[in-house]
Amino acid sequence: MSLLAFLIVCAAGAAIGLVDGDSGPASGRVGRLAGLGGLLAAMLAALFIDSTTRLSFADVTLAGSEYSGRFLACAAGSGLVLSLVALASGWSDRLAPAALASFAGLAVAVTAVDPGVALAAAAAATTAGAIVLGREVAGSDSDGRLAEMRTIGLVAAVFLGASLALSHPAWNGPSASPAFVLGFCGLGIGLAVRSGAVPFHVPAVRMGLSGGRFSPALLLVWIPAGLGIVTISWSATTFGMRSDWLDAAVAAAQVVAVATIVLGALAALVHDELEEIVTYSIVADAGFVLLALAARNEAAAEPARMWLLAFIAAKTGLVAWAAAVSRAFGTSKLGRLHGWLRRTPLLGLALLAVVIATLGWPGSPVSEARSTLVQLALPGGLQFVLPAAIILSLAYTGRLLIVGLLSPATEVAAARGEMPHWGSRAAATPEPASADETGAAAGNKAAATATGTDSGPSNASVSLPAATGGPNATSRLLQRLASVWQLNRTLEASLAVVVGASVAVAIAFGGFGTSDASQFGIPLDTAARATPTPPPPPTLAVTPTPEPTLAPHSTALPTNSPGPSQSAGPSTSAAPVKTAVPVHGPGN
Amino acid sequence: MIQTAAIAALAAVIGGVVAVSVRDSRLVALGLLLALVASPLASSPEPSALAICFRAVGALLATYLLWASARSQSIASEGSGIGAVAEIAAVGAAFAVGWFAVPVKPLAGPAAAQAAGVALVALAVVPLTGRNVLQVGTGATLLVVGISLLLQAWAGPPTSAQQIALTVLLVGLVGATSLLIAPAQQLSIAVESAAKATAATAATAVEAPEVVEVEPSPVDLPAVVVATPVRTIGIRASTKRTRRTSIPAPASPADQADTSGAAADVAPAAPDEPAAPVPAPEVPAAPRQRFAPGSPRERRLHPRDPRR
Repeated sequence: MSLLAFLIVCAAGAAIGLVDGDSGPASGRVGRLAGLGGLLAAMLAALFIDSTTRLSFADVTLAGSEYSGRFLACAAGSGLVLSLVALASGWSDRLAPAALASFAGLAVAVTAVDPGVALAAAAAATTAGAIVLGREVAGSDSDGRLAEMRTIGLVAAVFLGASLALSHPAWNGPSASPAFVLGFCGLGIGLAVRSGAVPFHVPAVRMGLSGGRFSPALLLVWIPAGLGIVTISWSATTFGMRSDWLDAAVAAAQVVAVATIVLGALAALVHDELEEIVTYSIVADAGFVLLALAARNEAAAEPARMWLLAFIAAKTGLVAWAAAVSRAFGTSKLGRLHGWLRRTPLLGLALLAVVIATLGWPGSPVSEARSTLVQLALPGGLQFVLPAAIILSLAYTGRLLIVGLLSPATEVAAARGEMPHWGSRAAATPEPASADETGAAAGNKAAATATGTDSGPSNASVSLPAATGGPNATSRLLQRLASVWQLNRTLEASLAVVVGASVAVAIAFGGFGTSDASQFGIPLDTAARATPTPPPPPTLAVTPTPEPTLAPHSTALPTNSPGPSQSAGPSTSAAPVKTAVPVHGPGN
Repeated sequence: MIQTAAIAALAAVIGGVVAVSVRDSRLVALGLLLALVASPLASSPEPSALAICFRAVGALLATYLLWASARSQSIASEGSGIGAVAEIAAVGAAFAVGWFAVPVKPLAGPAAAQAAGVALVALAVVPLTGRNVLQVGTGATLLVVGISLLLQAWAGPPTSAQQIALTVLLVGLVGATSLLIAPAQQLSIAVESAAKATAATAATAVEAPEVVEVEPSPVDLPAVVVATPVRTIGIRASTKRTRRTSIPAPASPADQADTSGAAADVAPAAPDEPAAPVPAPEVPAAPRQRFAPGSPRERRLHPRDPRR
């Protein structure tokens, strides 16, 4: 029931938001209400999704699990926080509908028991990214729309193509391994392209610059996280087979992941636009999802799930932080943001929280997850990636904080800051105009300002009615509250960012049951194990002695789980099925 | 006896060829509709009536989105990148390869579905490399349809859940194309600017003693008109006409000497006489030609982002 409610809420919210957003700025309030309410309702519905959740009609079966519920709740909650920040710092008409539409697709993907359905639904969720770009991309940036169209088409094609390989047709050949190599490459390429991994990072960064402040959260965080959780279901089972070509493809994935983590963080360190820094930071941390795919190890599944939850919450907080800073000071250029921390200390606190949620603390779940992924996916010579990623992350965050502690620049000094205004003055302090707002985001903001729903940073004077007694006292009080709301947009955005960052820290440290939920997979994991893995090619020299492995003890084996290489019926339990698959050493 | 699956496979391929070969967006939508509706029928056994209806409704919705968006914004495709004949030849070859090749034995579906799938995948390659969003979207849609046909041939008929997921994916893909081919905001700017430029042209033709044909600067025209390839997106007739905007120029002997054409023959009105409406001169229509690669106009039509 909760899954059905989630799907209905997402579909209805997306439809209302899209229809209302297209009908003009005057009627945009219904769209805002539908977007915010839809995200809130979706988050609440997702919290009730667990292993007993099941939705069936005809031969369509969707089954929930603890993790899929937490995953969807985390995504919807992140969308809600970002929408609240957007409400205070320049509403985007398309963000909430696009998020809801993609969440609906991801919900089907992470609850489907059929691999073909899951992959098609994940690909369909990717197409929702066009909603946020269709209006947001500046009119002159036709290349950005072209790149997004290619990305969507590529992801759809490779995911559907991967389902060809994973459907295990009766290949007419000596071995089925070429098909699995192609399937692995397809899933890896789709994930890398959508995440903006280093060879494909240019469209992602350009989209971050021209597609609006909030689009990276959807296109580079939420959707890739959903693709990632679907993709890694086959990492240790189907793709765990021995094959030279598959090993070569895995090596390529490792190279891409390492390059993404290191170069992405380096790029975040050297760029001066907040949007670029945020985008490269997201891209760098998405490299860990590629590591999870390349690990091909059962032990990598749990840290990968944990990392995906922390990734969603922390990176959404980072996008929200950047949007709030840009809105507060009217610029996103780091050179003109000197002293931002002095004027907005809450945002500084939020940035610190985001860093803690991303990197964790030694022994914390998120830190252990990152460490485990690196250890399992990379050979010994590349283990330097983990300390390098930590150092570079601290470096670009420290740079942001140091810039914030400098003497305030002109724009920063003229901005209002986070000090609350209660309307004691008739005219408020003017704030700098938002000169760096791009494309339609500025248009939307202007339209919203015209309707009186968004004062923006340049709301120079707001007359505050006195809340005195009389027949119209109630209406005057409401007017005054509305005016106070408009006067304190910076504070409101900062508080929303702080809330989002705090939730991210809680998730990163295993709060809200995320640590426990990460031990459970999604129904697709069980289905992936149930599908027959092709037998290895016959070898002439058969070693009678088993290889020494680091496999889990046999006590962890459920009685009905013979392992990935044997066919068995799908388990009815959503609990992770720990098999006796040999643990591959680093580099295998 | 001709099987339904073979006819449907052939129809899907014909629809694909039409979608990638024509320039008219309505025909593109029609071709896609044919491909989307016919592809689920190329299955053996045939899917249930409910599944067929669902796919057909999805196909109608998808192509309606594309048709409505392209119609309201006067979007045109670039057509075939290699020529219609070459497209048909390539598709025929790919269809034959798909018919006789045996990558999966035994086939779980009809060979016609495999042939159509291979043909549509081959057909989608060229559009995917284009620079027109409509063309790329069409190619991506055909690629997904082709893969779905291969799935039907190799893994058997899809389940109802797979049919629903595939329908949603196709609707999303075509819907994304319709959203990305041109933002509505762009359209309003372009139409408004085109109307203003047309009005300015008419006023200038009446008042100006002499006119000079100049290339409008990027400031004069909306960014969308300047930045969008003419072959790709056009506010068709009006925009192309207004690109040759007539503006008054200072009278100088050099200008008079350089000015040619009927516009230069318009006599200036005497200052004492009341201004009489002067009919707009008959300017012969310039032949449609493509600008040489590397010319200033060509460079402006394909701007490079300085950030890259």
